[in-house]
Amino acid sequence: MKTHRFSYDLDLNMNAAEGTAVFSEDGRIVSECSGETAAELYAGDIEEAGVIAGVGCGLVFVRLKDGDERIICRFSMSKLKPAGEFCKIVNYCAQTGIADIPDEEDPIVCEKCGRPLIEGLGVCLFCYNKIGLLKKAFVYLRPYSKGLLTTQIMLVVSSALFLSVPIFNRYLIDDFLRPMRGGFSDMLFIGIGMLVARAVGEVIFILSSRRFNKFSIGFANDLRTVTYDKMQKLSMSSLSKRTPGDLIRRIMEDTATIKNFFTDVGRWAVEQSIMFIIVVVILLLTNPWMTLLVIAPVPIVMLALSQFWQLIIIRFERQWRWHSRCNSILYDIIKGIRTVKSFGNEDLEIEKFSNATRQLARVSSDNEALWARLFPAITFFTGIGEFLVLYFGGRMILGGEVSMGVLVQFTMYIVFIYAPLRWLVSFPRWLADAMTGMVKVFEILDEEPDITESENATTAPVSGRISFDGVSFGYKSYEPVLKGITLDISPGEMIGIVGKSGAGKSTLINLAIRLYDPNAGTVSIGGTDIRDMPPAHLHERIGVVFQDSFLFAGTIFDNIAYAKPGAAPEEVIAACKAANAHDFIMATADGYHTMIGESGHSLSGGERQRLSIARAIIKNPDILILDEATSSLDVETESAIQESLDRLTKGRTTIAIAHRLSTLRSANRLFVLDKGKVAESGTHVELLKKRGIYYSLIMAQRQTSSKS
Amino acid sequence: MPAQTQTATLADAIDIGFLDLAKSEFFITPGGFTGLRYKGAEHKRVSLRRALPIGSPGSYISVADHENKEIGIIKSIDALTGKQLEIVTAELGHRYYCPEISEIKSVKDKLGYVYMELTVIVDGKKHAKNCAVKDVNRNIRMLDSDRLIIFDVDGNRYLIHSLEALDKKSLKRLEPYLF
Repeated sequence: MKTHRFSYDLDLNMNAAEGTAVFSEDGRIVSECSGETAAELYAGDIEEAGVIAGVGCGLVFVRLKDGDERIICRFSMSKLKPAGEFCKIVNYCAQTGIADIPDEEDPIVCEKCGRPLIEGLGVCLFCYNKIGLLKKAFVYLRPYSKGLLTTQIMLVVSSALFLSVPIFNRYLIDDFLRPMRGGFSDMLFIGIGMLVARAVGEVIFILSSRRFNKFSIGFANDLRTVTYDKMQKLSMSSLSKRTPGDLIRRIMEDTATIKNFFTDVGRWAVEQSIMFIIVVVILLLTNPWMTLLVIAPVPIVMLALSQFWQLIIIRFERQWRWHSRCNSILYDIIKGIRTVKSFGNEDLEIEKFSNATRQLARVSSDNEALWARLFPAITFFTGIGEFLVLYFGGRMILGGEVSMGVLVQFTMYIVFIYAPLRWLVSFPRWLADAMTGMVKVFEILDEEPDITESENATTAPVSGRISFDGVSFGYKSYEPVLKGITLDISPGEMIGIVGKSGAGKSTLINLAIRLYDPNAGTVSIGGTDIRDMPPAHLHERIGVVFQDSFLFAGTIFDNIAYAKPGAAPEEVIAACKAANAHDFIMATADGYHTMIGESGHSLSGGERQRLSIARAIIKNPDILILDEATSSLDVETESAIQESLDRLTKGRTTIAIAHRLSTLRSANRLFVLDKGKVAESGTHVELLKKRGIYYSLIMAQRQTSSKS
Repeated sequence: MPAQTQTATLADAIDIGFLDLAKSEFFITPGGFTGLRYKGAEHKRVSLRRALPIGSPGSYISVADHENKEIGIIKSIDALTGKQLEIVTAELGHRYYCPEISEIKSVKDKLGYVYMELTVIVDGKKHAKNCAVKDVNRNIRMLDSDRLIIFDVDGNRYLIHSLEALDKKSLKRLEPYLF
């Protein structure tokens, strides 16, 4: 028999325990903890199963048909998501009598190492496939691979030319200077040789860098664009899991980290490794014993450098955090300076900032002292090879085993061996940063949008009929916001949605404009399920005004035409006239070309709302949705806007949510939502006569306004 | 000379709504929830929420019904005795779950997360626990000069009652994240 299993980790007394709640195909629910049955019941006896989240823990409970409630199990927050899934399956069976058990459950631990997986990350922190990630990133490098290979070869050739200089030196010393033989022409020949090698090396380096920059910038641009494109295609439920700052960081900073790794770091890593090998081969061919002296300290130097950097990085990260804390305190205080002054709290804020900046000074001073102590020691370590070569090489010269030219050549090559080591010890960190960037960027790129365009999408004309049929939805699987909503709105009808905060009013609208898809049931417009319509086609026919409509930085004209790219001036002006915005726009110096946004002309709340109404209606939508469009405005401004709205809603299907219930009086019908369900419906008068929830809301508002 | 006026205190103007403990009776329902009989009404499922969970976990406990509507505030659980104290303490323990960290076995930076292997104490017994922390600046937080709380990506919380009492190795592992 098919079952769905939920493993929980606390017993009913909050002690750590191993328990399972099992839902079977026959509707039976059994919860067992530490070998004992904690609960046993049938979905048929249940009205609803739910999760109550506490602080750091939660519980699953059921409400039985007789009204009694019963705790099934308790769990820590690591089990919250599977608990919600469990309740969803049980609820579906309780409501429909059908046990719909999914075939596969999302794993919550890594199959390889057993460590818990982080929601939304997609990979285990420890077992993710590094090679796979690199391969994925290489796909975006492919268009530039030929160019990058060419510049890499040019870089190696240029470095090889620089490497030839010590060989010229050696011949100059051993064949001409030491024996004091040879004429000026021979030395000039060697000098010209050195100069040419150096000059050609530099020219090739410059050419390689120029070509390389072009490819590197192109790669970064491609990666940024493709990530941004994908972000735009993701649904609101995917996007709202992440903060705006997080998304911006992924598009700008993480893509830059990947680009730096593959282009700058990768390029130098290849070049330095090849140079290291070439130098070692040249030295071995020249004098194997002295080569050993050069190479012997390398492991010690590597170890010393890596320890040094680990210590320094930890210290400086701490300093960075204090720096960031000081910045954030400053930002907060300066932003809220009016509040600080109005409460006379200047001294308190000075003290708060002084404390943070004192800590920053202390940490910085400690770090500088550490740096001053350790850096000379590190320099000494990296000089060991040179010291050994000079000491033993000098003895070998005195013993006649090597020439002066060879010693000079070795001391010059030491730089080529030890300088990259400082750089190479940081490579693992750069690799780790790049991996972090890749995981975050590919998390976006690999995510399947959950609002998808149906294969049989139809672009049938959108009529004004909107139907919700048994719609249930929750932003979190364990917290349903709408439960089995069924309603039918006729074309041209003006509908008001009423209810307390959190009743699900805005959620209903979010589903109507398909920012989210319902968990169960269908939303259709003109008889077509909106999932079968291309989103762009749907949004073209719906105009929306939110309470906090966002206006972009740009001109007023651009903001209105945002809803209808390429709109003619007549259309923009007409929309603004209809929205009662034209007059205040014309009062500004630049009219429709007035810049708005953060650094532009500041608008009042009423002006912003009128612009957003104009933006919503410029495309002449069949359906108009007003989500608390006038709630934040004063009564006078609201009535001015309401006048334009009354004009605009005529003949259009309109769904309006309003905090002030008086603004919905003219609605053809009102739906009162309560706890995610339609509790009442009817006209204003009908609902008043009912003396139910709507009546209490109206009375509460009347009392408030009469008191004020 | 203007007449002196007496300004009403906030407590006079606003009724905080302290629960009259003499008229309240907490009980456990057959389904395992905590209920409350108060002024003639019976609430079958109440939740207890600390107003000051960090500084005063035993004071200012808000008692709310199943719709999160506040019934009243317990000024201090010290005023409760016997079975009533037992029920309220147990319910607070059911709502606030924050195991104490006794040892930090390892701390690793991975893909922008800090992964910790911990030993935590639950019900007086030691348990191994692994957790991942994102944005350490925000989620590893000093509560005062000696107490520290860690919030993991799942929403679990772990408390260190005293950094001073923590073993040296654990403290050293945690040190880079303390600031």
